[in-house]
Amino acid sequence: MALKLDSENCIGCRLCQLGCSAAKEGVFNPELARLRIVSVYDRSGLNIKSAVCTLCLACVAACPSGAISYENDRLSFREKECTDCGLCLEACPEGIIKARDHGVAVCDLCKGAPECVQWCPHNALTNGEVG
Amino acid sequence: MSYQGKVLRVNLATGAHTIEPLHEKWARDYFGGKGLGIKYLYEELAPGVDPLSPENKLILMTGPFTGTVVPVSGKLGIITKSPATGTILDCSIGGHFAGELKFAGYDAVILEGKAPAPSFLYIEDGLVEVRDAADLWGQGAQDAELALRAKLSEEIKVLAIGPAGENLVTMSCITSELYRQAARGGVGAVMGSKNLKAVAVRGNGSVTVPDIHKFTALVKDFMRTDTLTDTNLWAFTDGTPMLVDLSQNTGILPTLNFQQGTFAAFENINSDSLKNVRAGKKGCLSCALGCGNYSKTGRASVEGPEYETLAIGGSNCGIEDLEAIIKFNDLCDNYGIDTISAGNVTAFAMELTEKGIKDFGLRFGDSEGYLHVPKLIAHKDGIGADLALGVKKLAQKYGGSEFAMHVKGLEFPGYEPRGSWGMGLAYATSDRGACHMRAWPVAEEAYGERDPFTIEGKAQLVMDLQHYNAVKFSLILCDFWALSLETMAQMLSAVLGREIREEDLSRAGERIVNLARQFNVREGFSKKEDNLPERIFKETLKTGATAGKLLPREEFERMLKEYYELRGWDENGSPSAQTLAKLGITG
Repeated sequence: MALKLDSENCIGCRLCQLGCSAAKEGVFNPELARLRIVSVYDRSGLNIKSAVCTLCLACVAACPSGAISYENDRLSFREKECTDCGLCLEACPEGIIKARDHGVAVCDLCKGAPECVQWCPHNALTNGEVG
Repeated sequence: MSYQGKVLRVNLATGAHTIEPLHEKWARDYFGGKGLGIKYLYEELAPGVDPLSPENKLILMTGPFTGTVVPVSGKLGIITKSPATGTILDCSIGGHFAGELKFAGYDAVILEGKAPAPSFLYIEDGLVEVRDAADLWGQGAQDAELALRAKLSEEIKVLAIGPAGENLVTMSCITSELYRQAARGGVGAVMGSKNLKAVAVRGNGSVTVPDIHKFTALVKDFMRTDTLTDTNLWAFTDGTPMLVDLSQNTGILPTLNFQQGTFAAFENINSDSLKNVRAGKKGCLSCALGCGNYSKTGRASVEGPEYETLAIGGSNCGIEDLEAIIKFNDLCDNYGIDTISAGNVTAFAMELTEKGIKDFGLRFGDSEGYLHVPKLIAHKDGIGADLALGVKKLAQKYGGSEFAMHVKGLEFPGYEPRGSWGMGLAYATSDRGACHMRAWPVAEEAYGERDPFTIEGKAQLVMDLQHYNAVKFSLILCDFWALSLETMAQMLSAVLGREIREEDLSRAGERIVNLARQFNVREGFSKKEDNLPERIFKETLKTGATAGKLLPREEFERMLKEYYELRGWDENGSPSAQTLAKLGITG
């Protein structure tokens, strides 16, 4: 299972980001969300850019200390093993791993019921089979 | 509390800024958006100030829900004194600017004075700078926004004016995200008079509420069981174009400058036709409804057209070609003109031309001439110099005041009051002139179950709707979620951490309406401006469900008198001292 955005159905409301930051960080702040949606018009029309965790596991491969691991079909982060080396931030192709004062924030799919998916009003964001 | 507690005040003349605490007492009484913006302006602006002078202020106001997950809370209030009407003016603009401003750490921005040269204001969290905009001046509002995004960041949110605002056209708007507007009353000209081309904001901070997990659970439930239900989902499936068929069927679709209430070619411009050219959907920050329809044809594209543009820029000008309306809408957005006022003045000029009163070279149904209008108005060029005056002043210059469709200098929206008599009262008594967003009794009259051709109960209906909308636009919630005051109160209690009851909200709505009225009274407005054009009182409509109908003047006068009495306003339309005291309005 992994997050997937169907941009045809996305209205760019960013409730997913607000819901994520509320659940994970206790505040409303799209910058702290573990996914990112930008829906803007330019002269070519409406463009939706999204970044969600695809479970590519580049962060797991990059993590030298084993702080980020893949368990039970999702990412898991153990703060005390993190050395703040920043390699995962560089490795993430989506750019959605967030640095914190100590450690990082990775999308753990809310342990099975992702908040972002719950907030998506038009089922643009789903948690489905990989591939 | 979900406020940031900070107001950013910028002196454009010097480029200096201060950050002051949000006025706590005022925020308790007026919440945010419309109400709190009007309160600040009422307290800070001396009566009689020229709206286009440096003394006028432009206030950008968020609300207690801005930046949270509350559905449809993404809009920004913009409050100033109107150069079109001389009244209080508050607009609300969709998009993501309001949230970005709050994430930058501010509840509001108060813009004062006039920059010495064309400028834009850049805000990024604690960084506040008035920057040179010489290269942007003269550009379209959309072009200026794209240029700023290219230069600064794709993530910034922008409010911009087009040439119309720069040239102080009193029907100029402020545009954001290319297609969203604070449209009415010449709010763009106020920005232009300050030499302010744009405001760009980027915010990286947070909005907090007392118990966020309890709050999000509450709101998530409301979103699923209330927002995303059939009552509101028309906004997603169709958006406002749905109203074309409703208005046609009930005979209130403005046609040929309000000469008719039906349009033979309505099927060309209705929701079904729009769906054929739909190329995308977009909502504001936190909007679960996403009313924005991106429309694209071979030669034109726009987010829209909304119903108001389809009616006033379409049937009211006799335009049958949807692509022409899409183009007109896009041109208005880029030149920075309100489509409602632009459509009205075009239709008025068409009627003046056809009646031989003054030849503007414009004819009903002539889409070629019509598509020249936005540019001409924006630059006050050729006939545009006249059309830029707006309907009221154009009638003063050339005649035709009996069919100059405006109240207090603000042109009519897309609902024929002869087919919804309460709407006539709503236009006449709205704080900023003819407006459909202060009260919209049409939903219950023409579109609903109540008799549209009676004044019975309409004064009460309009008053109640005005209170409801006033508090809704102060919280700030979009029109398109038809939620109860009880639901509003529950969410507000949760973000403020103190109990707000339903009756507190209706009382606040009444307070806001009365303060707005008091602002206008202070500017010299009274009963004589609470009026409608003669056409509404004297000419019967000829087609459809409203054939044979007008709104008799004596009925209108009775309804207005009853409204004043219900409000506790005197015969001249001024709130009595007792009424003001009851609502805690002083000064």
